[in-house]
Amino acid sequence: MTRLHLQVCLFLLFLITSTQALAENFSGYVEAKGFAYPERASYRDPWVLGWGTLFNKWEQKVGEVQLTASLRGEWISSNEQGSLLLDLADRHIRRPPFSVQDLWVRLPIAPDLDLQLGRFQLGWGKTDGYSPADAFLPRDFTDPFSDEKLPLWALRLTGQNSSLRYEAVACPVTTPWRIPVLGSRNAPLKAEGFPAGTVFKEVDSPPPEVGFAALRLLYTLGDWDLGAWGRAGVRPAPLLNFRFDQATLAPSGITIPVERRYAREEAVGIELSRIFGSWIIRSEAAALLSRERDLGDALIGSLSVERGFGDGTLLITLAGNANEPPVDPTLLFDRALLPALISAWNRTEEWGEWKLVWTTGLKRGDGLLKAEAGYNLTDLWKVTLGGELPYGSTAGPFGALYADRRVHVAIRRSW
Amino acid sequence: MHIRKPSGIALRVATAVLLSALTAGLAWGADARALLKESENRHRTKTQQYAGNLTVVNKEGKVRKKGWKSFRQGYAGDARNLIRFADPPEVKGVGFLSLSRSAGQNPDQWLYLPSMKRERRIATQDRDASFVGTDFNYEDMEEFDHVKYKVAMQGEQTVEGYACYVIAATPLESGGKSVYEKKILYLRKDILYLLREDLYLKGDKQPSKLFVLSDLQNIDGHWVARKMEMSDSRKGSKTTVVLGEIAFDKPQPASRFTLQNLNREGGD
Repeated sequence: MTRLHLQVCLFLLFLITSTQALAENFSGYVEAKGFAYPERASYRDPWVLGWGTLFNKWEQKVGEVQLTASLRGEWISSNEQGSLLLDLADRHIRRPPFSVQDLWVRLPIAPDLDLQLGRFQLGWGKTDGYSPADAFLPRDFTDPFSDEKLPLWALRLTGQNSSLRYEAVACPVTTPWRIPVLGSRNAPLKAEGFPAGTVFKEVDSPPPEVGFAALRLLYTLGDWDLGAWGRAGVRPAPLLNFRFDQATLAPSGITIPVERRYAREEAVGIELSRIFGSWIIRSEAAALLSRERDLGDALIGSLSVERGFGDGTLLITLAGNANEPPVDPTLLFDRALLPALISAWNRTEEWGEWKLVWTTGLKRGDGLLKAEAGYNLTDLWKVTLGGELPYGSTAGPFGALYADRRVHVAIRRSW
Repeated sequence: MHIRKPSGIALRVATAVLLSALTAGLAWGADARALLKESENRHRTKTQQYAGNLTVVNKEGKVRKKGWKSFRQGYAGDARNLIRFADPPEVKGVGFLSLSRSAGQNPDQWLYLPSMKRERRIATQDRDASFVGTDFNYEDMEEFDHVKYKVAMQGEQTVEGYACYVIAATPLESGGKSVYEKKILYLRKDILYLLREDLYLKGDKQPSKLFVLSDLQNIDGHWVARKMEMSDSRKGSKTTVVLGEIAFDKPQPASRFTLQNLNREGGD
């Protein structure tokens, strides 16, 4: 797709949704975002990066049936986008310019029983910052500092019987994690000790067709919220196969093909939260079992405390894995930062809001400091300023991103 | 975005309705507490729903707006509330569910954030914290419970052309820590509806905040103020709430006030 095609598509998308007659059930935003980097990991990394987004969501209720569809169009100034115009199940390694974020219908089967089918996002777990129940769900780390979930094609049954809620999900197609371009500042792979100049040739290995199935039960008892879940199927975070046997030598350095494979994994977990006065304590524990040698089993726990102070909220989360991973945990993505302490402070002001998030790896001494302030020009226009500062040992998942230190500015118009 | 618990203009409306219930014809000098009890007995509504539009104007004249729908079943100590924000786009779909518990216990409260696709249980907020960036604080959002106050009839005064009874309400220690030292309530005599509250913070000689209700209408046999204004003289700002689509005692689906429903994206 040429740049002209992309611009035409984005313009048409904007025209469609700005039409008054259609606008009633639409919401969305257009955003321009710019990043500036004080250093680079290699000559291929840009000093500045531009990111433009147009997102539109359509929601319609027909009786008790809910219909929702949304489409995102994007332009990124770097080579992070793939050649496909649209990747309907997000199964390819690069982010496409267009993406269907929602395309689902929810049908009431009974007053307290719903069937949702189509493409939608899931949100699980109790602990914010890191949740073992939620962490395995596919994410897009094209921007390594955003926690952007990918939607799934799935069928979901949710119900409630008095204080007991239940949720069954069948995801027939694997949507894999999307990881940044290997060898770029966003995924430098320093930990593997590759020689300088090494280039990774990423193979767009097809993920398995089948996805996963999961069951979650939730129960509310006074100040307590309790939960238990289990899932089985394909783990969407890939395992990387570095094909040294197929490496080639080019004038600029070694080129190593990298394939991806996907392990099967079974997991069970519990969740609980409780109010203690003005504090909320949330906790999770999960056992993740796999016969895959490069993945191994995991026993992951998380504990978070939260309290409101005036118009601000403090959140502290501690998460860890009792099992030592068989490979460098950086290569396991959802387990890369464990053990970690995550502290977040956000506050609403008359002019907008701001937040500070400090994530520190407790094993390798690296971490990430994020700060962001959003100023509301009006109810529809907003300017955001922020920065990300990864620091510490380059053997850690954040320290390795030293060349990703950056500041950003964004302006958004919502409707 | 950080979203504060949107507990309830709904509750504020309920307070207004409760006080509006005070029946005409009660003699001047009547016991203020007896009036409040009588109002609660006579004017309970089984359900209430409305669409709210809120405007905040700060001292520089900058205007912010919010819109939401509110549903309530039960009353006071046995109330269940669901609020769903519709505007601005940034908070569209945010939901709040409050389920009352036995006497003396804080209600169970959850917030649904569309960005997280799940609910989060929330704790009682500091009572002096601002409610979603408005001039209302969380104590302002609570229903006026006369048992938490020492109440006394102060006299009569004309407000907006209507003769009003004036009742002073002083928070009792047993009622929990209050942001305010004193509240002065103005009740329209003919229908005994609350028209104004003067809110005195600790140490105030003059009220820091004024709460004014207007545009009264009788809907489904219940008086209700369609317009409410809270002004804060310290900040120089004013918050106006306008209610529409008001309905009382309309049957609510049994499943509306459940966590299952709170998690229904696009639902109400």
